[in-house]
Amino acid sequence: IPDALTTTMSPAGCPHVNSFKVDNWKQNLRVIYQCFVWSGSAETRKRKAKSCICHMCGAHLNRLHSCLYCVFFACFAKKHIHEHAKSKRHNLAIDLLYGGIYCFMCQDYIYDKDMEQIAKEEQRKAWKLQGTTALPTCSRTTRCGIGEKYSTWEPTKRELELLRHNPKRRRITSNCTIGLRGLINLGNTCFMNCIVQALTHTPLLRDFFLSDRHKCEMQSNSCLVCEMSQLFQEFYSGHRSPHIPFRLLHLVWTHARHLAGYEQQDAHEFLIAALDVLHRHCKDDNGKKANNPNHCNCIIDQIFTGGLQSDVTCQVCHGVSTTIDPFWDISLDLPGSSTPFWPLSPGGDGSALNGESHTTGATTLTDCLRRFTRPEHLGSSAKIKCSGCHSYQESTKQLTMKKLPIVACFHLKRFEHSAKLRRKITTYVSFPLELDMTPFMASSKESRMNGQYQQTVDPFNNDNKYSLFAVVNHQGTLESGHYTTFIRQHKDQWFKCDDAIITKASIKDVLDSEGYLLFYHKQFLEYE
Amino acid sequence: MSKDSQMRAAINQKLIEMGERERLKELLRAKLVECGWKDQLKAHCKDVIKEKGLEHVTVEDLVTDVTPKGRALVPDSVKKELLQRIRAFLAQHATL
Repeated sequence: IPDALTTTMSPAGCPHVNSFKVDNWKQNLRVIYQCFVWSGSAETRKRKAKSCICHMCGAHLNRLHSCLYCVFFACFAKKHIHEHAKSKRHNLAIDLLYGGIYCFMCQDYIYDKDMEQIAKEEQRKAWKLQGTTALPTCSRTTRCGIGEKYSTWEPTKRELELLRHNPKRRRITSNCTIGLRGLINLGNTCFMNCIVQALTHTPLLRDFFLSDRHKCEMQSNSCLVCEMSQLFQEFYSGHRSPHIPFRLLHLVWTHARHLAGYEQQDAHEFLIAALDVLHRHCKDDNGKKANNPNHCNCIIDQIFTGGLQSDVTCQVCHGVSTTIDPFWDISLDLPGSSTPFWPLSPGGDGSALNGESHTTGATTLTDCLRRFTRPEHLGSSAKIKCSGCHSYQESTKQLTMKKLPIVACFHLKRFEHSAKLRRKITTYVSFPLELDMTPFMASSKESRMNGQYQQTVDPFNNDNKYSLFAVVNHQGTLESGHYTTFIRQHKDQWFKCDDAIITKASIKDVLDSEGYLLFYHKQFLEYE
Repeated sequence: MSKDSQMRAAINQKLIEMGERERLKELLRAKLVECGWKDQLKAHCKDVIKEKGLEHVTVEDLVTDVTPKGRALVPDSVKKELLQRIRAFLAQHATL
């Protein structure tokens, strides 16, 4: 007995299993798992329900165990299984709840590699079965599955080898700056660099790439998603020297011809082109090529795609025609542009919610959003064919958010390219750190139309709350300018990325900046 | 066996037969992770292991020490939800 107590647990289990591992032991063990531990089929479940009770006291709780040498179920808590083990000299038992193997000689649960393997396989099998079994009381087969079971990561032999050969480890502390890296400017390429900084600091995108979720199907070497993956590796490598993104630039020129050349390009255009190419090169979750923009489930769509609702109301019959279009960004007109910025009454819904004040007279992001979602009267020169009236009528059009993306990108339209003039609008627009999109939702509009003018803000509804995490700024004029990005790390640490130079920034620096592209991230992520 | 434990056994049987027990277990697991219960108990287990010594601690030591704490730390909201689910299940399969 003293021997057993001083046995150290090793991955090979204990020596006492050897007497069990004879003849057809593997199959016998599988049967025990299938019938009494993880019963996948209705038949085995019925059997388990009936027979799994203690042979000594009839209880079904109390950590029921099954003897591995004979058909005997007994509870652990009342030591009934211990009595059986002693009297019959059957030294091994299995826990019917969790499948662990108990050795009475070692007086502890043991972890035999072969047995563990069998346990894992049987559990997975049972899981799969659970997912497609028909419920006897339902008239049709329903998915009563729980989905793929979460299993903790265990390294493969190859991975263990790699980990041993590369013993250097990095500890992530709350002020560690891993993920920050400068980018060399390859000749007016700051329009690309600033977007790369925003994307590499989008948490969900980062997690996707760092967990190797992209499985490439492209034959050639021109997959932009693979290049993004490489980029994340570079950014999180810990190297402090700036990265030279020549391969990325080349791929962009290949896939988005309109952005090729050494002139300065528009960062917003680059963002949309990059998202488009990434979306095209991605496989969606089910392995199908992402060629249908309305049914894609690729990582780009999961993160960036929202739904914009357009309601056209006929002024005569008040019939509403609704369409919903996907969007990756919201482009907002600014005061001072040639399109009139309707004067808005100060206060009202929106501004109080987002903690802004109108005392300074500065236009706010919320003002721009309110303008964006206001009902617009389409003049007599733009009559719409009304299906209710069967004739052309004047109408009003209103845009609202039907579905919010996880990452919302707001594009302040600072570059005016009308027939008469090309200029940059430098009007200061103040934007908040935290943004609530509730007033701009289609559902809010519906409740307003139903007579609920006073919007009761539900403090427990967190669905529409966003946090700022990146700001792209443009300095200079239309002819010659420079892009930089503020990005956020951890909760409240901001950095300015100016091509190869990264510097610490204050929240004030960020909020005082002009703002061209504003990136917001949902604060709370819901299950689907 | 008392009437109470007979009822318990019958309910348990039904839950297992219909696969509901597994579903409830998974729901419970997810809830307990979400509310931080798993992390709390994991930390507590680590303390027990440190105390008893890695070479000598057994699963039994952990079970004895951690069970009462684990039971006490389950949030009421989780208990409520599981009870509701079981009630709904029983209402549906009222042949008991």
